[in-house]
Amino acid sequence: MKQRPKRRPRRQQRHRLISSATLVLLGFGLGLGLRFQAKAASASQDLCQTIVSSQAVLSRQQLTQLLTVPERENRQAIEAIAQEPYCTLAAIEVRAGVKAERTAYPLAFDPNTWLVVLYEAEEYVGYGFKLQH
Amino acid sequence: MALSFSIKRGVQLASGALLALASCQAGPPPPRAITIQQTWELQVGNQVGDYRISSGLGDITLELGGHPVRMPFDGRVQSMDEHCIALTSPEVPAYLFRLCGISRPKLGQQLQGHTVGRAQQLVFATFRKEPDGTWTLIEPATDLIAQFLTE
Repeated sequence: MKQRPKRRPRRQQRHRLISSATLVLLGFGLGLGLRFQAKAASASQDLCQTIVSSQAVLSRQQLTQLLTVPERENRQAIEAIAQEPYCTLAAIEVRAGVKAERTAYPLAFDPNTWLVVLYEAEEYVGYGFKLQH
Repeated sequence: MALSFSIKRGVQLASGALLALASCQAGPPPPRAITIQQTWELQVGNQVGDYRISSGLGDITLELGGHPVRMPFDGRVQSMDEHCIALTSPEVPAYLFRLCGISRPKLGQQLQGHTVGRAQQLVFATFRKEPDGTWTLIEPATDLIAQFLTE
């Protein structure tokens, strides 16, 4: 008779311990998940600084034409083919004393891949393919 | 028919296994090699007598004293020459950054802000791609170099 009241609290304690541990783990997992989501969101937002034309995409034909333009050509040669970009990236100075402008275009046939074009003053410097996650 | 099929299948399996084995033994990716437009005799990687040149015209040496070097943007890190790495990014097209002196650098795709490695003396050079595929050594902006050194 004396042992019974002792057992119950023990069981309850164990249950409480298990449930609180589960809650802590769940909370931790949720927190981690949210953190990763936030990281991913900030990563995709990082590329664009200003949206220029939210409907802009680059077709296969435009991309093919664009890749034939040699570096150091006037930037108008690129803009005539690609039209308005989806967005511009943050201005950057790679070469001392020269501001570089960057624009980005998602590919119509592969929207996770973006073409980034870099200009310095009126000169087309080069391109890169950026994978967006 | 059944026999020839099983032989074919066997050959396919064997070649598949060989391929898998070959890819496992491929080891590290080959180092990045570029043609530099300026053809100076005294440049990184060349020797004076028995001694290797660790920096030349156009290189900037920073006394990091073991501090970390970080990715200023998402990009790819490849080995280049001896003791050097090449950093390229689709976010900064047509440029290549050569960093020498980093001990045990992390190679491959790296995210912005990640540590590439640590250096006592960091030798930094910036190259710009030419239309003919060669690379020109240029003077980098101070702010850009600073981005490699801050979080």
